[in-house]
Amino acid sequence: MENIISIKDVTYTYPESKKPAINRLSLDIYRNEWLSIVGKNGSGKSTLAKLIDGLIESETGTIIVDGQEVNEKNIWEIRSKIGIVFQNPDHQFVGATVEDDVAFGLENQGIPRDEMVKEVDAALKMVDMQDYKTRDPQSLSGGQKQRVAIAGVLATKPSIIIMDESTSMLDPNGRKTVLDLVKQLREEQNMTIISITHDIEETELSERIVVLRDGEVVQKADPKAIYDIGRKLTNYGLEEPFSSQVAYLLKDELKLPEGYLNEEELIENIWKLSSKM
Amino acid sequence: MEIIFKNVTHSYEANSPLEGLGLDDVSLTIHDKKFTAIVGKTGSGKSTLVRHINALLKPTSGTILVGDREITPETNNKNLKPLRKNVGMVFQFPESQLFEDTVEKDIMFGPMNFGMSEADAKKSAHKMIELVGLGKEYLDKSPFDLSGGQMRRVAIAGVLASEPETIILDEPTAGLDPVGRKEIMDLFKNLQEQGRTIILITHNMDDVANYAEEMVVIHDAKVKAVGKPKDIFNDRSLLTDDILTLPRSAVFAQRLAKKNFSFPQLPITISELTTEIKRQVHGD
Repeated sequence: MENIISIKDVTYTYPESKKPAINRLSLDIYRNEWLSIVGKNGSGKSTLAKLIDGLIESETGTIIVDGQEVNEKNIWEIRSKIGIVFQNPDHQFVGATVEDDVAFGLENQGIPRDEMVKEVDAALKMVDMQDYKTRDPQSLSGGQKQRVAIAGVLATKPSIIIMDESTSMLDPNGRKTVLDLVKQLREEQNMTIISITHDIEETELSERIVVLRDGEVVQKADPKAIYDIGRKLTNYGLEEPFSSQVAYLLKDELKLPEGYLNEEELIENIWKLSSKM
Repeated sequence: MEIIFKNVTHSYEANSPLEGLGLDDVSLTIHDKKFTAIVGKTGSGKSTLVRHINALLKPTSGTILVGDREITPETNNKNLKPLRKNVGMVFQFPESQLFEDTVEKDIMFGPMNFGMSEADAKKSAHKMIELVGLGKEYLDKSPFDLSGGQMRRVAIAGVLASEPETIILDEPTAGLDPVGRKEIMDLFKNLQEQGRTIILITHNMDDVANYAEEMVVIHDAKVKAVGKPKDIFNDRSLLTDDILTLPRSAVFAQRLAKKNFSFPQLPITISELTTEIKRQVHGD
């Protein structure tokens, strides 16, 4: 697999802080994969995203994005390949209307006006916000704002999308819309998805999960292997998947197989036990 | 304090082409000392509703009674301090409102603004920092050196420091890790058990099932249903119209019901679910 991002031996310490937020971290991210980065608040997830986007500068090591080292010379070119959707949509708006806001990133890239209008409409349609295009972003609810922010990122057609807790404000349906959308973008536009999240169920859609603690990678595996960690996931600030929680509470009376079972497998096993009775 | 909405309507950008209804003829009673969850889709009017309780928004028509305080379209902005002291509001992303150079000063700001003496505000800050699960060693730090989750706790401590009787929480745990989320939710439950009224806006139906005694469903700026979570989650009309989503335990039960299990009432918590599964597997 080809690397789209290579992080080697990177350290970052916030000013006035004694402990590094990212500590000698190395990680390869593959082109077109969906990678989840999980860990409790303060484990270094968002700091890592900022380092990749060159918003802050590492003290040691190197970060290569799509063949280019992140440094002052390349920073703008690298940023044009990366779209970040942050957690709090209020910090992301600059336009007076929804369509202006989505157009903002395109204006920076010098795209002609008529083409821009088309791109903006297409991006708003993808997030199902086309009916709101003349509204003031500040008049929208949190979830609607987040969908507009995602449209703004999509309009610039980045090859990497970093989602920094960006579905945590959405209701379950809004969240599903966004995740389906991300899935589709990854498949159709060959994008690489880096999703920073606390929601263990959301990671089920990804191909790999990286667990951070105190600025270091402590686990790195496919979802099933991570879910097998079970109860101990709480040590990393994560919740055990729901099916594991149910299985744990049933095990004192029902004989269930060891290891992680997803909901479908658990239901199948419970059903088998009940039909034997 | 009992909170009563009487035929409350709120229009945004009234008399302009963008006019929209934030609340449409809402009548509702939120009971004293209860834990009430307010749910509804993004944009349904939940935040608009709660912003009327401390008069951050005023009704376009109708009345809100908060204890013996009445809020009407004519209510002016004078003398709102006693109301706002009694109704503490934790907004979405409260950490964005931190501004002082130490955590202690930030927590003290609210109570002093409501007229508490500096000494009492300090005492309150020391108590609240522990209550939200951070130690006293955090008081001298700059709030901006803290992680997002820690900042959230400081902001919550700042609201609690004024000792409000009613606490309104607008998605207070969004973005917190699950362990932190549970600690914060347990804290709010605890505050309720000590005699406060808790009003929680949330998208997390598991939190509703686990913590709330009453539940209000808002849809298209109207109150669609009010009642106990167990009854509301078993109201099929709300589910078929896609107005409400279910807690994970209820969804799991629905999937089992497609096999040979039957749930006359859907379980809404994981303990209800697993108890019922065991009972049905053992066949009694």
